[in-house]
This record gives sequence, structure tokens and C-alpha cells, in this order.
Amino acid sequence: MTGRLIMTADEIRRATVRISHEIVEKQAGTAGLALVGIQRRGVPLAHRIAEAIAEHEAVELPVGALDITFYRDDLSLIAQQPLVKGTDLPFDLNGATVVLVDDVLYTGRTIRAAMDALVDFGRPQAIRLAVLIDRGHRELPIRADHVGKNVPTSREEIVRVHLLETDGEDGVDIERVVGVVAEPIAG
Amino acid sequence: MSLVVPDGTGIDLATVVPASGGPGEVHWSHRHLLDLDVVAWPEIELVMRTTDAMREVLARPIAKVPALRGIGVTILFYEASTRTRVSFEVAAKNLSADVVNIAAASSSVAKGESLVDTIRTVEALGADMIVMRHATSGAPYLAAEHFGGSILNGGDGWHAHPSQALLDLYTIREHLPGGPDLRGRKVVILGDVLHSRVARSNVWSLTAAGADLWLCGPATLLRGFERWASTSGDMPGHGRFTVTSDLAAALRDADVVMALRIQRERMSGGLLPSLREYAARFGLTLDRLDLARPDVLIMHPGPMNEGVEIAPEVAVDPRSVITDQVTNGVAVRMALLYLLAGAAGKPRSTSGG
Amino acid sequence: MADGVGLAGSVEVGRTVADLEISRAWLVDPASGREGPGEIVVDDGVLRQVTWLDGTEAEGIDPSGVVVAPGLVDLHAHFREPGFEDAETVATGSAAAAHGGFTTVCLMPNTSPAIDEASVLGRVREAATRSGSPIDIQVYGAVSVDRAGETLAALGELADGGAIGFSDDGAPVRSPTILRSALVYAGMLGRPVVDHPEDPALTGGAEANEGLVATILGLKGWPAAAEASAVARDLAILADALADEPRARLHLTHLSTAASLGLVRQAKTAGLPVTCDVTPHHLALTDEWIAGARRFAWEAIDADGRPRSPWADGALVAAPYDPALRVNPPLRSADDAAALMAALVDGTVDAIATDHAPHTRVDKEVEFGLAANGISGIETALGLVLAAVEAGRLPLGRAIALLTTGPAGVLGGWGWTGSRGLVEGAPADLVVIDRSATWRVEAAALASRGKNSPLLGRDLPGRVLLTVAGGRLAHEDAA
Repeated sequence: MTGRLIMTADEIRRATVRISHEIVEKQAGTAGLALVGIQRRGVPLAHRIAEAIAEHEAVELPVGALDITFYRDDLSLIAQQPLVKGTDLPFDLNGATVVLVDDVLYTGRTIRAAMDALVDFGRPQAIRLAVLIDRGHRELPIRADHVGKNVPTSREEIVRVHLLETDGEDGVDIERVVGVVAEPIAG
Repeated sequence: MSLVVPDGTGIDLATVVPASGGPGEVHWSHRHLLDLDVVAWPEIELVMRTTDAMREVLARPIAKVPALRGIGVTILFYEASTRTRVSFEVAAKNLSADVVNIAAASSSVAKGESLVDTIRTVEALGADMIVMRHATSGAPYLAAEHFGGSILNGGDGWHAHPSQALLDLYTIREHLPGGPDLRGRKVVILGDVLHSRVARSNVWSLTAAGADLWLCGPATLLRGFERWASTSGDMPGHGRFTVTSDLAAALRDADVVMALRIQRERMSGGLLPSLREYAARFGLTLDRLDLARPDVLIMHPGPMNEGVEIAPEVAVDPRSVITDQVTNGVAVRMALLYLLAGAAGKPRSTSGG
Repeated sequence: MADGVGLAGSVEVGRTVADLEISRAWLVDPASGREGPGEIVVDDGVLRQVTWLDGTEAEGIDPSGVVVAPGLVDLHAHFREPGFEDAETVATGSAAAAHGGFTTVCLMPNTSPAIDEASVLGRVREAATRSGSPIDIQVYGAVSVDRAGETLAALGELADGGAIGFSDDGAPVRSPTILRSALVYAGMLGRPVVDHPEDPALTGGAEANEGLVATILGLKGWPAAAEASAVARDLAILADALADEPRARLHLTHLSTAASLGLVRQAKTAGLPVTCDVTPHHLALTDEWIAGARRFAWEAIDADGRPRSPWADGALVAAPYDPALRVNPPLRSADDAAALMAALVDGTVDAIATDHAPHTRVDKEVEFGLAANGISGIETALGLVLAAVEAGRLPLGRAIALLTTGPAGVLGGWGWTGSRGLVEGAPADLVVIDRSATWRVEAAALASRGKNSPLLGRDLPGRVLLTVAGGRLAHEDAA
């Protein structure tokens, strides 16, 4: 990690556990709940939350992965990152309470795309949002139900979440970069 | 961040992706898809991977994604063709594009409007991409010169049919016993090679894939290809291929056999004595297929003349993947429309911002 | 104007050149066989003095600077009038010729109506006079009525009306019996038959030379045999015609294949009265240009004389299928072009003729297979020839001869009495070229109405500074 560390591995773990309790609390139980991680880093986070819930509630919630590559609203991104990582929703969405899980909430466009994608698969009863980091600067009226850490940032800064499953280590750093940072491409 | 080059003829890729696939730093850089001669192997693999994703979309209850919402796709076919035209239309609609379908015979084109004028009109009416099929080789290059968006060649004369070759490749990789790596695998294209844009485009893609490609047919229908074959080893990024009218040699131990349609017009052109004679000497029958590997894949770009270039029993043989070619056609075309939209050179956002 | 070229006063095109002095230039005079440092004085339209320099006076003068040659002669051009004035007129074509350094041009009769009778010939001559251009315009009459190849045109009347020869160009003389009769009758009149050798049965729908490029680009091939078989037919018929009329003469135009040149070489050795020309584009360009290559023919051949593959060489630099490259006969492969060059050097070829074929945008800016055949080439001819000279493929003297005494000799054999030398006392007929300069081929720079040149955007060597025809100014470089 090249920037300034703002969340350690332990802090990530505690936030994940707290979020998992909040999710169950909000639902007053686990009935109807399903977790859907947004590719890429939302997916291992969703699995970690599911594991934490299994530990304290002894219930295995369904976990899916959602690729929003085809739902982005900016075509110029296709050339830079055309690769698709795959959508896998191994449960019936109809009537489920889906908790979308992502690593960083920024402008909100990724979440909007994720909701568009989800409703093509079925009609959930409710959609909630859990994120590890909320860095502000929303461009759409989107709000996270569960937040690991609120981090005020400027548009010249980039927030990077590193996870063991995808990056070999756990941690979140922040770094100032030259020029405006565009919406980080999901994944 | 990498640079998008809005140029029709592509650029060299900085990084090569290993043949086994896997995501790398590959980007689609071609503004148009006119022929596969300028498409490098890593880019072809990118198309294959994107097609996988599109097949997943097609398997959904709602087989639609908004990726091309707000993008105008005009399908401009100067040659009659139901299957390819519908395949492109379905592909574009599955990506939520705004589709306009122009069948040339019923439009001002039939009254003699020039290609350039038609392209300009289509652009003025909001087309961002044009999928075109034309009877004259090279027509899409003329169109590309006069169009600000992307051209996807749906077939021009005898010259090229890139989306067909790519769906052929995808189908082969999907069904090839022993995995998708085509290096050293024997692929035979059999029939009227001279007049076939499917054959020419497949030469580019299959030699880029490293296949042991054979072109086979009556000598009159192979005119000029021996010369191409003899220089094929010198073309960077492509391997050698073989040309022969010896059907047995071509079919022996083949992994894939692709039969091409024979047209009646070839007789009036004096190139073949009769269709009966063609069927007798070069028709793909079960007997002849015994020369190939037992698990050989049977292919045909369609439409088929059963009983001429392909026996009816062969067309429905369990080893035939002809219907998969059609199904895969939609997915491949979705992938191509998607990748071209990204390289169009015109920054475009489908939402209000 | 370049150093050493002093044109007194500002002279309008068409006016007599009252006073012109050219000092310290490289003179090329194929008629006398002389080439070297010299000086020219023109006074009141007449070439008063030609001075050859030697010793210290000649120091510093070489063929890479200003070159003076006799005015160039084009045996084959299309000025489209009457009938296709949108593409070119005699006036615009003459201006183009002068820009290209030509002072005599022979026009083909595939106009509308065809020049198959004296009245149409008269119209063309009138157009030439009306244009005010000093360029010497000669006209071929058609061999057959409406060039249809079925009945002989009014050959005698056409000859009386000034026709320099007879041709059905655009097309071959289709009927062998008509060709036989034409050779005999025209020979009797002291005129040649100029044939465009092509067997149409082999070229139906053909788009490009039968070869690697046509195969890969999916274009219908134009076999070499289509030209070679027609050449063989014509030579065989000529041999028979000589028995009826010993003055029969055949000129084969725009030969493009090694096979054709081989047949002509043989025929000349056997003493047949046949002459031939090749075009600059068949010398310098090849079919690989259609695939998008832009190198000259002599750069596209390997040490063993085999054409290189532009795909293997990475030589494709432009978009393929440029309709400006569609021409009849088609651009051939690099080994054919090399055979043409060898035939220029060994004398099998008598002349370089442009086959200037202007077309409107409507007829050219279409799909390759639908484009009209033809290259607008009279203004770029000299540049292509000089490119070959610069590449060491052709000596300068031979190049100028192929554009002056060569065609003049062919015409002279036909009754044309103009001379093609730097001869003191004769009306000045010369071209002044600055070989140290280049010019960019651009639509706006072309005087021809036909902008269908594959060389657009390219720099060609050698600027024509001055063209003087029959003592009158035909072209003066604007720079």
C-alpha cells in the first residue's frame, strides 16, 4: 500500500462483524435475507459478512456475485476495462431482501447500475446497501444502510481497499493523485 | 489508464495474453470491424471472453442489459439475408440499443442512391454504429471513410465476414474435445473457397489461433489460394495453411470440418460441370467423415444445400454443431457491438450525468 | 522561377514567347543523342540558340538541377469531349497536358458520339482551336462505327479530316476480321491501327490483377492471359495483313504484363511493324496499392525478382480498395512492372503514354467494383518517370527519349511531321524541369477536371517550370 493507511486489518474485521449484526438487527432476524457482492471486492466482503452471520446466528445466508459491467452509464470505460467477471445469483430474488455489498461508496453510480442489474433478475422485496467505506461526493440520491467507516475525502484523493482474497492483504489506504479521479471502475 | 485510438485499422497491443486465456491488459482498440486481418490474437481472445459474458446474459430470464442504451445501431443490408440480419438485430436489442433495420431493396438505395449518400443520411438520422452487408468487396471501407461512428462488416462480396469467423471460432473452442487451445488442431474448410468471405475471414482467425488449417475443394474453386498459402508463413501473427483438392488428405484425422455452401451460379460461370458432380466428388458424407477423427466437429455457416455439399445425415449427426453456430452468433455479435461501442471514439454517456 | 531561367515580361498562356533565356541548365536532346550542360535562347517564339557548354563553363551543372528537354509527346489520352465534359474538356485537358510538360497529345475517340466520322473529328479540332491552347492536339478516329467492332468506320474521311491513326480504345477491336481489314485499309492510307489488347471474354466482371492481392481482398481476378492472348491474336493478324498491304502498322497501347512484352519482343525480332507503349502507372504502381501499400514497384520486388508480399512486409499503410486505383488494364504485380522497366531499357517499348483517363467524382467515389476504370495521369506522368530515374531504374536520357523521340518516332512513321528535338531555327517546343524541387499532388493543384489520381497527397519529384509549345507559352509554374 502506497498511501496513508486509514483502516487496518483488525479494523476491517471489526467493521465487518458490526455490519453483520446491523443487517440482522434491521431485518429483525435472518428470514428472507440474501447478500449480493458487487464485483470485484464486494464479493469477498459479502462472503465475510455471511460467515460472520453464520457464526452468530447459525444460519447460512445465500451469497451472490453481481457484475455491473454491462450496466455502467459511461461507454468510454468499455475500452479501458471491457473484461467481465461474472454474475452468479444462486437463489430466487423474488420477494428476497437483498443486501448489496460493496467496498467503497463514492458517486453512487455503481450502486444505481447494480440495482438496474438486480431487477433484471427478479423483483426483490427490498434492497439495502452495506459498504466498507463511504467517501462522500454522492452524485445520485443513494444512501448506505450500513457503513464500515465514513471517510471525508477530496476529489483528488483515491481510496483503495485491499482484501486478502483479491490483493493478498487486508487494509485501506488513501492517496492524493494528480488530476481529478474519476469514478473508480467497479472491481 | 490506456489510450483509446479511434482509428479503423487498430494498433499494436503492448501486452500479449497467454493462449490459455485469463484477463490481462488487453483492450479493444479498433473503431471499426471490417476484417480480421488487423485483429491480433489477444484481441480475438478478448472477444471470446466477452462472448462468454454475453451468453450468461442470454441465459437470464430477462436476456437484456442496458449497455448500449441510447446508442443508435442501423442495420444496412444490401444483400438479402434473414438469419444474419435477424441475428444482429436481436444482438443489438439485447444490449438495449435503438435499432433501425434497412433492407436495401425497399429503400431509396434501390432507386440508385449512392452508398456514400446513404451512409451520410443514416448518420444524420442518428446512427452511432452501422452493421452493413454489401455485395461488393471493400464497400465497408468506403463507408468507414464517410461515417463518424463505427462500421461492423456483416459481409462484403467475397472478401470478409468477421462476425461469422468469430462465431465459428467460438463454437469450435466451446466443443473441441481436449479444450479450446487450437494450436496444432486440424481444421478443414471444404467447398467453394474462391467465392467465400467466410473462408477468407476464417483463414485470418484460424491461422492466428495456430490451427493446422486446410482449404479443400475442386481446383477451379481454389483459384489464387495456393499463392496465399505459400506466403502465409511470412505473415506476422499467423501460421501457414494448406490448400489441396485431395479430399482424403484434407479430411484425414481432422478435428473440425466446415462445409461451405455451393451455389448454382458457379455452374453458369463455367467453374463446375454440375452440382451432382460436386456432390459426388466433394460432398461431405458419413463415409468420408470416417477419415476424420471419431469426435470430429461438423460445421456449416448456412444456409445448407443438403445433398450437395453436405449429406442430410451429416447435418443432423450428433457431432454437428451447426445449430450452436447460430445460437452463438447472437452472443458473438453482442460482444462485438459492445466492444465497438467502447472504441467508437465518440465519448458518450447514456445517462443524463 | 529557378536561377538561370529568365522569362522576360509576364506572358499569358497562349501568347508567343518573345524572350526566354535559360542559362546553365542540363539539356537533354535525344534526337541528336546529346545530353549535358548548355544554354537556350528563345526569341519571338523561335529557338534561336542552343549552346552546349564544356570545360570550366560546364562546371557545377548536373542533371539534378534545371533540365531542359523537348516538349513531351503523349500518344494516348482521353479528353472526354464531346459527350463527357463533366470529366474533362479539350481546354482543361490541354491545360493539364501543359502542366505535365506535354506539348503534343493524341486523343482517343471514345467520346459521345464516338469519333467515327469526320464531322465529330472536326468538332474536337474546333474545340482545340477555341481553347486558345498552344498544345498540339492530334486525334485518333475510331476503327469501327461507334467502336462496336462490327463495321469499319469512315477511315478515309477521317484520315482526310486529320486523324493521326485509328483505335477503338476503351475497348479492343473486337472482331478479328474487322481488325484485319482495318490494318490493311489504314495501311493503305498511311495510318496505323492502335489496339487496346484485351479479350473481353476473360475479363467479364474483373476488378483487379489476378494475383495475391485479388485473392485476399476478394476481388475478381483479371488474368494476364486476357492481354497476352489479345496481343498474340493481333500480331498474328498483322502478319497476314502485311501480305495485303506492306504499309500496315500496328501499335499496341498500355501493355501491362511480362507475357505481352515477350510477344512484342519476339515480333520485333521477326521484323513485324509493331510498336507499343506503357503507362507511367503500370511502371511505378502495383496491385498491392489496392491492399493499401504505397511503395513504388521497384521497391516491392526482392533480389530474386519475386514480388514481395505487403502483408509479410508490413507495407500496408493506407486503407484498401481506393477506387482511384481501378484501371484497365489493371495494376499488375511487381514482377510485371519490372518486366516493363526492362523492356523500356532494351527498346522493346517505344514510348511511355499516359492513358490519361479523367472521371467525375460520381463515377469514381463509389465501391471499388462499381468504379469507372481510369487514372487521371497526364500531370503526374513525368513525376513518376523521374521517380524511377531517381531510384536508378532508368537513365534520364532514355526516360526523356521515351517521352519525346520515342512517341515522335511512332507518330513520324504515321505521317506527323512535327519534330522533337532542340533544333535551332525551329519553333520553340520545350519543357523546363526543376529536378531539385518537388510538388505535392493535390486536387487543387491539378488542372485536369479529373481528380481521380491515386497519388493525391504524395510529393512527386520534378517541378515543371515552363512548357512552351510551338513557340507559345503553354504553362508557367506559379511559384
